[in-house]
Amino acid sequence: MLIRWSIVETLAQQGHTVVEADTARNAVRAMGESRLPIDVILLDYRLPDSSDLGLLSDMRRMHPESSIVMMTAFATPEMRTEALARGAYQVMAKPFDMHTLESLVLEANRARPQPVSP
Amino acid sequence: MTSFEPQDRAAQVLRALVDSAVDGIIVIDARGHIETFNPAAERLFGYRLDEVIGRNVNILMPSPYHEEHDRYLWRYQQAGQARIIGIGREVTGLRRDGTTFPLHLSVGEMTVGSERKFTGIVHDLSERIRLEERLRASEEQWRSIVESAVDAIVVIDAGGHIEAFNPAAERLFGYTPEEVAGQNVRMLMPQPYREEHDGYLARYMETGKARIIGSGREVTGLRRDGTTFPLHLSVGEMSTKGGQKFTGILHDLSARVRMEEQIREQAALARLGEMAAVLAHEIKNPLAGIRGAVQVIGGRLPANSRDAAVIGEIVTRIDSLNGLIQDLLLFARPPQPRPHVVEVPSLIATTMELLSGDPAFKDVQVDIEGTSPPVFADAELLKIVFQNLIVNSAQAMQGRGRIHVSVTAVNDGCQVRFTDAGPGIPADVREKIFTPFFTTKSRGTGLGLATARRIVEAHHGTITVESPASGGTRVTIRIPLSAP
Repeated sequence: MLIRWSIVETLAQQGHTVVEADTARNAVRAMGESRLPIDVILLDYRLPDSSDLGLLSDMRRMHPESSIVMMTAFATPEMRTEALARGAYQVMAKPFDMHTLESLVLEANRARPQPVSP
Repeated sequence: MTSFEPQDRAAQVLRALVDSAVDGIIVIDARGHIETFNPAAERLFGYRLDEVIGRNVNILMPSPYHEEHDRYLWRYQQAGQARIIGIGREVTGLRRDGTTFPLHLSVGEMTVGSERKFTGIVHDLSERIRLEERLRASEEQWRSIVESAVDAIVVIDAGGHIEAFNPAAERLFGYTPEEVAGQNVRMLMPQPYREEHDGYLARYMETGKARIIGSGREVTGLRRDGTTFPLHLSVGEMSTKGGQKFTGILHDLSARVRMEEQIREQAALARLGEMAAVLAHEIKNPLAGIRGAVQVIGGRLPANSRDAAVIGEIVTRIDSLNGLIQDLLLFARPPQPRPHVVEVPSLIATTMELLSGDPAFKDVQVDIEGTSPPVFADAELLKIVFQNLIVNSAQAMQGRGRIHVSVTAVNDGCQVRFTDAGPGIPADVREKIFTPFFTTKSRGTGLGLATARRIVEAHHGTITVESPASGGTRVTIRIPLSAP
């Protein structure tokens, strides 16, 4: 998928470690298997096996320490509000400018929920 | 053969004539005392003969004639001034029971021996006047029915000439009855009926074959100002002393047709909205991928190379495709207004600031004047409206000139008027200006004004466009204070 490739290329080139997945199922597995903590998740609203906000809620629950940026081609105001209510850091409209991607990711990283200290 | 009747026989005939006359016959002497009072007079006035003989005839008259009669009679006899003698007139009689009635009285004068006498013949007019009154009441009733009818009523003669045109017809067509009286009714019809109507009527008169007479159908009317409108016409035929006539009853269908159109338009917009949402996904998703990949690949090219410039151009084209989809979405699925308190003049100023970065507005000045109480509206949506209008005006002025914006408080709302110094909009274009995808620009989607109108209407406001003779274009928006 072109968008995934573009994002991976852009962020990797800027020195970030990127784990990619093509479906919701693979994403959940990849995150479980990752040896590094995941700071920011870029999540497409429409995936081959998911097209609602259920995956967003699942990821928030499984990885409360990660910041999640949703991407969508068509966001109704209701959907946007709902995504933010479910804990998305931002809802980004597609298409978007690759040149602004890194700054958004860094911003999302800074806003990452701090793990509760023991 | 000649026969000589004896004197008493002639007297008998006269007696019988007087007694059997249908009209009342009253003879008075020079002082006004009744001498003869025939049976018809008895019936008319309700007196018996023996009650009136020798009494002053003025007992049969109401005031003021009752008091004045003696003087009339005296004056006539002294000065020969006749008011009624030798002629007739309509007067009022007084019955024994005190009621009055209209009658025609003719008075003749005679001399019997040396005595002057006057003969009055009294014809009861009660029935005639009652009939006249009933006719007048009936006429008045019909007239008021016709005058007050909500539907237009137009009566024509067999030649198609207008004979009657009620107030509803005046309102419907914009003509006064004086303007249409005697004119051919085809003046109320657009082509081709205008040409054909005389033929229809002539054929009907000749063959009796009716197309519309006796039934009704939907037709088109032509107003005085040249505009047309849908109407239901039913035509009835009547024969009068003045010849054959046709009565048309016309019911204005504009409101119904407009409502049907609105329903159709709403349904079409709803379908377009669904389509636009699908299109948005199906186009924006691949556009996002293409744009991203092109940017990544472009980033690997030498910065000032021709190839890098081409990549930049591709990205621009992708963005304008995306803009088109965005415009379509906004028009077809405008978001529900989320109203807040909005200060209109400052919102216009903010809109201008957004535009001022665009080189296309470098030579455009916008003056904002006036103020109004804040409205309750969706600022983001109103900003789109203002932006679309300012962009249109700037483009109409070839990117150079002054746009005047006036904000005024009107009845429970705010009026914003944009006036530009462009060439104005021809009347034929003005009709279609709010039609989606209609554009006069070489590069435009034709959705700017259509979207502006949808947004304004979602706020229960109105938007109108005029091109005054003095030039330029004036767009007026009215937003109620508490809009959606």
